[in-house]
Amino acid sequence: MTGQAFFVLTALADGPRHGYGIVGEVADLSQGRVTLKIGSLYGVLERLAAEGLIEPDREEAHDGRLRRYYRLTRDGRRALGEEAELRAATAHVVRARLGLTGTQAAG
Amino acid sequence: MSSNLERRYRRVLRVLPGWYRQQWEQDMVAAFLDSWLTGEAEADEYITRAAGPGWSEVASVVGLAARLYLTSAATARRFAWGQAIRCAALAVALVQAARGLDILVRLVWGRHLFGWLPAPPANIVPGTPNGAVPAMVWYLVAYAWIVAFVLLILRHYRIAQAIAALAIVPDLVVVLQGQFTDRFAAFPIGPWAFWILINLTPVLAMSAFRRTAWPAPGRRWLLALPVGYVLIYVPLLVLQATGNFAWIPDFSGLYCLLVSLACLAHAHRAWSRRTSGSGIWSLTLILLAADAGAYRIASIPDYLHDPHLVAVCLAELVILAAAVALVAADAVRTLAGPPALPPVSAPGRKADGLVQEQTGHVVPAPAPAAGPR
Repeated sequence: MTGQAFFVLTALADGPRHGYGIVGEVADLSQGRVTLKIGSLYGVLERLAAEGLIEPDREEAHDGRLRRYYRLTRDGRRALGEEAELRAATAHVVRARLGLTGTQAAG
Repeated sequence: MSSNLERRYRRVLRVLPGWYRQQWEQDMVAAFLDSWLTGEAEADEYITRAAGPGWSEVASVVGLAARLYLTSAATARRFAWGQAIRCAALAVALVQAARGLDILVRLVWGRHLFGWLPAPPANIVPGTPNGAVPAMVWYLVAYAWIVAFVLLILRHYRIAQAIAALAIVPDLVVVLQGQFTDRFAAFPIGPWAFWILINLTPVLAMSAFRRTAWPAPGRRWLLALPVGYVLIYVPLLVLQATGNFAWIPDFSGLYCLLVSLACLAHAHRAWSRRTSGSGIWSLTLILLAADAGAYRIASIPDYLHDPHLVAVCLAELVILAAAVALVAADAVRTLAGPPALPPVSAPGRKADGLVQEQTGHVVPAPAPAAGPR
């Protein structure tokens, strides 16, 4: 799973969001380190939808435009949970090898 | 009426493939405008007149277009095949595991391990091939499939595959033993076909299970084991216990009938395509039908001494072919087309009293015509 896909799935974890809502949430989640362009976002959304990890939730009109909301599927929720565990385990190993495990506790 | 900003962005989006724009363009435009507009009329009026997509935005669309042109059809096909192979491997493992459960029940019943059960009918304990492999190993092999199936569901893929690979070794020993001692000299194809198509193929297909492959099998498959046992093997046990042996199909016939019934049950979804993933199931059934059909054909020589049984085998093949025809079109569509999103609302009419014009613009819906009360 790519970093962008991971952030997009995380942005949808607490409820459906529309395209620009996902962009904003990803920026918040990553503390500004990941800024999705619209083209990149819809590349990620298309792949996640093809893999059955997200699906359209509803469409709402806003200022004369339609916003389509997306939500996680059950598979998407499971994939995100496993990816989070994998990343946490990997981060733990890396920190241990760098000798940083105690630093965080001290800090 | 669209603004300059929207027109400029739509011009950029023209580099995307037509099928993709059909599915995603409106949404991309809405998100792009959301990213620019402030909600203040004066500022927005200036932005929509003077602004346009920046170079980084254009680059992201061009990059998306390049990826779609290069990989979309192939990606969709690869995903469909991978998922269908995983489902087919699970289905065969399920049948093998249910068979293991059947052997367990027969052993427990036949050997009076539970006194409260009624007296078992004669020959209830499953027979085992005579040869180099002791009976206990055959029973362990049957139970190993149950373990392998459960481990697949729990996503211990490599352990499940290793156990299944060990479980097919005794069958191979018997086939080789028969080959070298001329036991199967007259009709050598059937035993080999069973080992290759029913044993080896699902074990190899388990290689398609990877932690990165999604969606992973759901826990509902666990429920399929007791349900499968009750629906498949309990009726066979009843037929055997009541002496109706003529109605009991051989394993190949049973396999063909099960796949045929699954095709019939899935036909409605395949035709309507209302459920996402129906094409994957159609493709899975095609794979299973190919496996079952190949084994049925390969095992016909075992029955050449009895024209009636040959006719039964051919009838099973005809039923299988007719059932597969019901889902074949859906499977072909799945392989040919790009992945499609399920619809979220009726075409043309949208939320909050707005309708979508042919141009893609959203305008207020006309008020319903007043009529006499």
